[in-house]
Amino acid sequence: MRRWALTLLVVPSLALAQADSLTTRLTAAIALHERGERARATRAFSQFIDIYNASAARLTSRELVAVAIACTYLGIDDPQLFKDALTAFDRAIAVDPRNIDARVRLAELFLGKYNSGDAKATLRDALAQDASYVPALVAEARRRDFDQEPGADSLLARALRADAEHVAARTLGARLRADVEDFAGANREIQRALRADPQAAEALAFGVALAVVTGDSSTAQTLRARFTSRYPRDARAHVATAELLARVRQYAQAASVARQGTTADPSSWAAHSTLGLNLLRLGEVADARRSLETAFAGDPYNVWVKNTLDLLDTYGEYDEITHGRFRFVIEKPESRLLSLYLGPLMDRAFDTFVRRYGFTPDGPVRVEVYRSHADFSVRTVGLAGLGALGVSFGNTIAFDSPAARDAGAFNWGSTAWHELAHTFTLGATDMRVPRWLSEGLSVYEERRARKGWGQGVTPAFLQAYASGRLVPASRLNDGFVRPEYPQQVLFSYYQASLVCELIAQEFGEKALLDMLQGYRAGQTTEQVIRNVLRMDLPALDRRFDAYMQERFGRTLAVLGDESPNVSQRMPSQALVARAAVQPRNYGVQLAVGRALMQRGDTAVSVAALERARALFPEYAGGDGPYPLLARALLARGDKLGASQLLLAMRDLGEFPHDAHELLGDLLLQTGDTARAAEAFEDAMFVNPYDIGRHETLAALYARLGNHAKAVRERLAVLALNPVDRAQAFYLLAVAQRDAGDVASARRSVLRALEEAPHFERAQELLLALRARGGGP
Amino acid sequence: MRKLALVAVLVAAGVTTARAQTQLVIVSGLGGDPRYTREFSALATALAQAARDRGGMPDSAITWFGEASAPQGEGPWYRGTSTRANVEQTLGRLAARESEEQLVLVLIGHGSGEGAQTRISLPGPDLTAADFARLLDAFGDRRVAFINMTSASGDMLPVVAARGRVVVTATKSAFERNESRFGRFFVDALSKDGADSDKDERVSLFEAFHYADAETKRFYESEQRIATEHPQMADEGQLARRFFLSAGAAGAASTDPRVVALYAERAKLEERITALRARKAEMTVEAYEAELERLLVSLAEKSQEIRRLERGS
Repeated sequence: MRRWALTLLVVPSLALAQADSLTTRLTAAIALHERGERARATRAFSQFIDIYNASAARLTSRELVAVAIACTYLGIDDPQLFKDALTAFDRAIAVDPRNIDARVRLAELFLGKYNSGDAKATLRDALAQDASYVPALVAEARRRDFDQEPGADSLLARALRADAEHVAARTLGARLRADVEDFAGANREIQRALRADPQAAEALAFGVALAVVTGDSSTAQTLRARFTSRYPRDARAHVATAELLARVRQYAQAASVARQGTTADPSSWAAHSTLGLNLLRLGEVADARRSLETAFAGDPYNVWVKNTLDLLDTYGEYDEITHGRFRFVIEKPESRLLSLYLGPLMDRAFDTFVRRYGFTPDGPVRVEVYRSHADFSVRTVGLAGLGALGVSFGNTIAFDSPAARDAGAFNWGSTAWHELAHTFTLGATDMRVPRWLSEGLSVYEERRARKGWGQGVTPAFLQAYASGRLVPASRLNDGFVRPEYPQQVLFSYYQASLVCELIAQEFGEKALLDMLQGYRAGQTTEQVIRNVLRMDLPALDRRFDAYMQERFGRTLAVLGDESPNVSQRMPSQALVARAAVQPRNYGVQLAVGRALMQRGDTAVSVAALERARALFPEYAGGDGPYPLLARALLARGDKLGASQLLLAMRDLGEFPHDAHELLGDLLLQTGDTARAAEAFEDAMFVNPYDIGRHETLAALYARLGNHAKAVRERLAVLALNPVDRAQAFYLLAVAQRDAGDVASARRSVLRALEEAPHFERAQELLLALRARGGGP
Repeated sequence: MRKLALVAVLVAAGVTTARAQTQLVIVSGLGGDPRYTREFSALATALAQAARDRGGMPDSAITWFGEASAPQGEGPWYRGTSTRANVEQTLGRLAARESEEQLVLVLIGHGSGEGAQTRISLPGPDLTAADFARLLDAFGDRRVAFINMTSASGDMLPVVAARGRVVVTATKSAFERNESRFGRFFVDALSKDGADSDKDERVSLFEAFHYADAETKRFYESEQRIATEHPQMADEGQLARRFFLSAGAAGAASTDPRVVALYAERAKLEERITALRARKAEMTVEAYEAELERLLVSLAEKSQEIRRLERGS
């Protein structure tokens, strides 16, 4: 309270003018603020500090709350004053521990400053005092939504049962519905809030946002006019609109609206941060940084902005590489290596998608690759801890580098392909494609791009379907934006890709394009399905069920329990008997096969594993029968059989990431050089950091006469900083010579000799190249 | 031109030191676990084999003391248990010989302690950094390489380092006590292809150290683990580049005056290449590359001619 003590020395007389009702004065000051008379409002709010300093000990709890609220307004221009607001709230609660309003407002202050931990504790105390206090219920719902904890909906329902016209509850309800893209429901909530209080700022602001996002321009205009006339110089409507636009991936429009917000109210730090974050999504890094720095200077509590600025500070450690229609942003230590693979991969993906979607993105696509998953997470959501591997903001995509996770943990090639597919589906629809369709198409595209890529069916997915734990096809978006259990998001990716497959199969590929066009035109999912597929949403759900039964019905019948009653401790005979009792139970056959193999009864285990494979042949996961059967074949030295089995497994769907190298080795040992090279090529999208693998692949490509790829592999070796650089340059020169690029070969052999002037083979090559006339 | 003159001296000195006879003494300590015992034994064997097969060292110049009392592994180098007495006696005997022999002493095993009391775990009493410093002092001006590949070996470096000595430790301090990978890569450097970065068909201790250092770093990076060892080298006399684990027997110098002249011309070209590389930062890329190519082509032609004449003779 150092600041307040100083003020006390200057204007002690004001303390005597303490109003009979501070709350009345507060209301008047807030009215000044809302009318845009900021200077007068600030003077009025400042008087509360003087009053506090002169007579804090005599103030009632309610008066202390008024002081605290005044401080929060002053905190807009001087963020240090939020601490004083905190002190005043604490004192208000100390004076009257029963003042539940003080607790709720304190919790709201915590939430406003992104401190959900203290908000949670404060609200726990408030609700312990009165479990049906509506503002506390609403604040706790907001807190849970903030923390992405379940229960926000039910708390809100309780609040509305107690007070059906509670404006803040209705407004929050609208926000929650908008989060799941239920804009009609959100609109109903906001209309109800505005009927209760036509001037409510937050309800008006969100009403504007909803109207803009749903393309209802006349309502947007009406509500905006009402908001502006009541709250001139207030950016809340801009911020709400920009945030909602960003939520539906309209980043350019979001940035534009947020920019207007910074003009309307230059001290709206939320407008500055929203502008900055959206500019970053658009790849406009320098402008984004400026906005974020402004936002952070005004609101140093914003952890998203701080994290993002910290991340931007590291961008000097990245290379920016222009590659045709792309700009790669990759950390320097691995930019040379990754761009060798990323370039051709992205070119192929781009060409594929241009053909497929009849759309070409404007300008270069920015591709950011992060060696630190925490950095990727901050780039995506402003915080560490995001589970996803990649993100697409349209013309900017970002994903984890293979170094960001444990070796072999994911396929960075298929991730890049997936994210670029989003760039096209988002772009083709003016960013209006719903999440479920965009994700479904991306997974579908992964599967079509390369054998062994893209999610495939799993026992867990089918079990979730069988037990009714998947969302209906018509409400797939809920599975992404408001999952009921952690795995539901993962299941929804695959389910969405199945819906795309179903549509492509039964209505033709063009139907998918027509759906995108429908969304582009602003149609709802219901309209799109009706117009393109000629059915209503319940019919789509029935059709999807029929598709599932047709495609997986046989497997669903034999899937068995998730945890069959098979123990490692059971004797072998008992295991065999157990398998014999339920020969048509996939779970039992797999568990018995695995148990028998683990104890070394390889021959006996094979029968059970073969039965498991026959029951569920589509499942290619690492915990299924294929890898175990391959192990059994290897145990008896049948490398050819094992390699054939792994090839079959790869062709089924997402190949276990660590199996590519095993497959490559087996194919190499069985003399299938071409397919071995293919397998090692696949392995580079899992782990590109093994110098030995690159050397092997370079030699394979040289043997196969694929000199361009041999050159690429030799470049990869060099990018990994081998100790023997002379040898690496020499072998690169040989590959370049074989590829007919004598000039490059000559430059490379000079690099080899620069490292080791006496390198005899390099000397011979240099003289031979000169004889062929390759100039540098 | 002071720098050029120095380079010429070093090149000349390199010819001399390459011819020095070498004694290799390997001390592998207690494993404490069958896995480590096997691994230490395998490393020692691989190193001894490399000295013989790649370095051309006679079996008699290779001494290995290990954990077991009976001979172990392949080869005739095993001389008994790695007791303090055995090691002291052998080093004392080698130091007492009146010769120009250089010594390579390699420690493999578990380390512990701090400062001068940093030690290798041996059957019976251990040997400490202070002990090794004392034992090596007896070698006077003779060239010595002390390669300590044990865990927690870092503190030995300042205690043992001296002019005329190359000292390598697997870790930077006594606090890096986890299992060390450095030794495996160091032995790889001497026993496999890949470390001869100047392509002179030999791997110097300098090259071996840098290979092992780089591969150790790569190991921790690729495994996404925090590095628990940071190898270090002290090379006060700038010997490591000219110190080889080899017999040092040089082929007879050619008496053909054409070859002698070509060697002299080649040496001058090498000096010019070295000088050019030193000026690289001051030159345009084009000018540097053009001059580099001119010199390297001349060097290659001289080398080709030398080989032709030597093969002919």
